[in-house]
Amino acid sequence: MDLSNRLANWARLKSPWITMFNSGACNACDIEVIDAVTPRFDVERFGILSKGSPRHADILIVTGPVTLKQASRLRRVYEQIPEPKYVIAMGACGAQGGVFKGLYHVVGGVDKVIPVDAYVAGCPPRPDEIIDGVVACLGIMKEDLAHGGKEWRRKAPALIPLAPARRRGVAP
Amino acid sequence: MAEIMIPIGPQHPALKEPVNFKVFAEGEIITRLELDLSYNHRGIEKAAESRDFTRVVPLLERICGICSHSHTTNFVKGVEEAMGVTPPPRAQYIRTLIAELERLHSHMLWLGVGGHEIGFNTLLMWTWRDREDIQDTLEEMTGNRVNYGTNKVGGVRRDLTQDQIDRAHKRFDTLEERFQGYAEMATQNPTIRERFQGVGKLTREQALALGTVGPTARASGVDSDIRRDDPYCAYPDVKFQVVTEESGDVFGRTLVRVREMMESLKICRQLLADLPEGPIAAKAPRTAPKADVISRYEAPRGELVHTILTDGSDHVARLDIRTPTLANWTSVAASLPGAHLADIPVVVAAIDPCLSCTSRVTVVDIHGRKPASYSWDELRAWGIDRHAGRRRRS
Amino acid sequence: MSLALGIPASTVSSALRPFGPVESARATRHHVLVDPKDLREALGAARRELKLDHFVQLATIDVGDAFELRYILTGSHRALVSVRTRLPRAAPHVASVHDLLPPAGLYERQVHDLFGVVFDGHPGLSRLVLAEDWPEGVHPLRKDFLVEAAARPGAKGGT
Repeated sequence: MDLSNRLANWARLKSPWITMFNSGACNACDIEVIDAVTPRFDVERFGILSKGSPRHADILIVTGPVTLKQASRLRRVYEQIPEPKYVIAMGACGAQGGVFKGLYHVVGGVDKVIPVDAYVAGCPPRPDEIIDGVVACLGIMKEDLAHGGKEWRRKAPALIPLAPARRRGVAP
Repeated sequence: MAEIMIPIGPQHPALKEPVNFKVFAEGEIITRLELDLSYNHRGIEKAAESRDFTRVVPLLERICGICSHSHTTNFVKGVEEAMGVTPPPRAQYIRTLIAELERLHSHMLWLGVGGHEIGFNTLLMWTWRDREDIQDTLEEMTGNRVNYGTNKVGGVRRDLTQDQIDRAHKRFDTLEERFQGYAEMATQNPTIRERFQGVGKLTREQALALGTVGPTARASGVDSDIRRDDPYCAYPDVKFQVVTEESGDVFGRTLVRVREMMESLKICRQLLADLPEGPIAAKAPRTAPKADVISRYEAPRGELVHTILTDGSDHVARLDIRTPTLANWTSVAASLPGAHLADIPVVVAAIDPCLSCTSRVTVVDIHGRKPASYSWDELRAWGIDRHAGRRRRS
Repeated sequence: MSLALGIPASTVSSALRPFGPVESARATRHHVLVDPKDLREALGAARRELKLDHFVQLATIDVGDAFELRYILTGSHRALVSVRTRLPRAAPHVASVHDLLPPAGLYERQVHDLFGVVFDGHPGLSRLVLAEDWPEGVHPLRKDFLVEAAARPGAKGGT
């Protein structure tokens, strides 16, 4: 790996830039993530910074069960992030829709729309659990870097469906 | 200059939920606003029609993670009214205590957000640090920092221990001092005064005509608070002031919330001092007879209303929810015209929306020049720079 | 502090009886059922004569053959007065009251999305809560819109 890549990798691991996307969440997860950067939990000591634009991000944290309205937007934000990119699905909603699973305006889970690298359980997860999740994600990133990228984790052709949000209650 | 349309859209790593609204402007001055709330729509009212009362409670708790106790309390007390069930006094006191703790954490969160919107990030750090004392108290008493799960039909799920009560009192003492500090800061800090005074003005007549509720209405002199006007839980037993201001601007809304925080502390102390002995829940039947109930609650953001129809089964026939934020959006739409684009973050934040407004703002120039694009951060920064420029020149 | 609560049933009755049957559960709970064509007039009379200056909620219920709209108002006397009307399911039209009660502008858009009620004279009955690609003519809060049973055990009939 050439010098500029090695520098970039080192910078990425020491100071991962996070961007957040709210896919229709109740806010509890969003606030606990923000809480992680306030004095009590102080995530900046890990070198983690919260950055606005997807174009500068390493990690995308997604909260919410993904409403129908947000599904295509989530996909677009994901596509704007340059590789290598990592996605953390926050909470019960992020995993499979939480209490909103099955509701008519909800897709139900981030991995129905974009690939997810880590899930942080909770409703909402506590700030310390969130930091734990981010650090675990950093561990995955580090492993991937050592293997020269993400490809080594793929065991089969990747299926990344943009789940067409099923219209329930409507005759096909 | 003719009107141009500026969509303010989602996808922002902001503090709260996404909302989209289109701002129409002439030059840099706003002429009107159009709203789209579908980003957060999930289908909760429909789900309530097919889940039994017990299952509806955790669902409603997650309508909004900031005011979750408001929704569940309003719902269970409505169902209790339909069933003719009265929770025991100790349960009412505990419900009220959690309600006021929620108001405290919500107002503190808002104060931090308000500071953030004008570049006063120290205020964000201080209020959110102090807010952790409330989160700790809630976690000790209910088992969770957020989405507390305290309520059930008939009462509450967890009792308070003397240890929790003692610790809470100690924290309240610390917080009372801190709140004095915030009160001084809010009234005297020049940045807050300049960015908030005269901004987002609503007269009392406008506030009433536009159905405005909560601190936003009270800052315009509307003397209304459901805790006093349609009392519920243990509010009849406690003494507190309904806080109003006359200025009707963002500054007034700040003062109302800071003073309400003080009142909430007073209420919490009274509740703990007079906590009745006894059970924490009454036995409630599985089903509710046919009934038609209007349940109202003073949430941190204002009046919350549930129209609840029961039909003899173990679930509602209809749950129609009107949140305080929905009631207040019209006042935003009314107070923004005439304001500068850069004031949008401040005016919107001032209603303390249980929704957030986020990133991309595209200025479409009808004369065909290249469109400019502003993020919410840039709008906020614009406001901060404008203010700094004015101060330098003055 | 004790304030006089509610409005006497007789006062409500004399103000609103011309428009339809009035029921008063107690001094703080009254409702009247009016014909859709009389809605605006009834609301005007209610606000003027019963000093109702705060619009609490526009509640909507699918009652089978009709949609019942409830315009719930209150005032400093703390009584809740609900002016109700029923719209036939086959043609749910009623006059918009966005000019009489400004927040109605938003509430009517929501009811339109979820129930398909048409508020004649509304300046812009566009989508408020449903995604732009949600199919036209499908109104999820109608009782005949059925959501698939959730995979969770114990969920009754729908989600």
